[in-house]
Amino acid sequence: MYAWIWRHLPGPLAVRVLTAIVLIAGVIALLMFVIFPAIEPSLPFNQVTTE
Amino acid sequence: MASDPPPEQPPAKKPGVGVKIARGVGEVLVTLGIVILLFVFYVLYVTNWMSAGKQAEATDKLDDKWRNERALNPEPLAGESFARLYIPSFGVDYKYAIQEGTGTESLDLGPGHYTGTAMPGEPGNFAIAGHRDGKGAPFNDLDLLESCDSIIAETADSFYVYRVLPKKEEVGHWANGPGKRPLCGKVQPLRAPDAPDGGLYGDTYGQEIVDPSQGEVINPIPNRPEDAAPPAQQAALLTLTTCHPRFSDRERLIIHAVLVKQYAKAEGKSGELPKEMTEAQG
Repeated sequence: MYAWIWRHLPGPLAVRVLTAIVLIAGVIALLMFVIFPAIEPSLPFNQVTTE
Repeated sequence: MASDPPPEQPPAKKPGVGVKIARGVGEVLVTLGIVILLFVFYVLYVTNWMSAGKQAEATDKLDDKWRNERALNPEPLAGESFARLYIPSFGVDYKYAIQEGTGTESLDLGPGHYTGTAMPGEPGNFAIAGHRDGKGAPFNDLDLLESCDSIIAETADSFYVYRVLPKKEEVGHWANGPGKRPLCGKVQPLRAPDAPDGGLYGDTYGQEIVDPSQGEVINPIPNRPEDAAPPAQQAALLTLTTCHPRFSDRERLIIHAVLVKQYAKAEGKSGELPKEMTEAQG
């Protein structure tokens, strides 16, 4: 999978490395700001009130 | 995460389909592992940073509000900050703006007040919920509170000093043992010694661990029906709730405290703090 992505990145080595870093940062940002906050409320230790 | 560039010369033998599938599955599993580690990092650190920012904003807004309008707004809107919580035994810098309501939006900022329960200083039960893990974890150390530790609520015009009630195992020998500590001067068990069930406050102790369904702990008189006694007969209590054990929602940890003192803020002098603020019990 990663080898396949790497082979399809355009440009010389330096550009590819930069693109790869941007891609990784983008995925991490997506996880931290969108996906994790969305699934987090269902974690058990967020229930702090009595019913 | 990117792998090395492919070698310059093509490999002697092309990998078969099985090898390709195994490699793909392996990469997916490694990726999932990294995502889960990132999630742990998010829960333990990133939520704290986000909440710290929101809490600081809420504190600033509260300061502005108190500076600008001295008139009390008795009914804060949902999510609005209206009071400040201090627990001196957790450190002199322990202070949190309390928001109205116990929804996600309130609790993301800091402790949240159960809507409909008493306000600070009122007879009844001023009940607050807070996170124990992540989101700033204001109630992380609630299990370390001892009887007689002070919990202070600050409103626009007053400080209300509450002290943690005697714990269940201390009630029996309170007057001869734990109750003699200097901080405990005004703290007495609320149980009626003559009544077999302890009277109205027979089930009110400094700390209890209950089932999540036991909403009665935040009733005006804890663990008694809502209408057990008119407000005139109710003590002014403060109740803190959080999850228990840590990282679990199996139970709830409950702290009950009783109002022992009240300071009116001098007009225009908000810098004056009650002396209880600096006490730290070992």
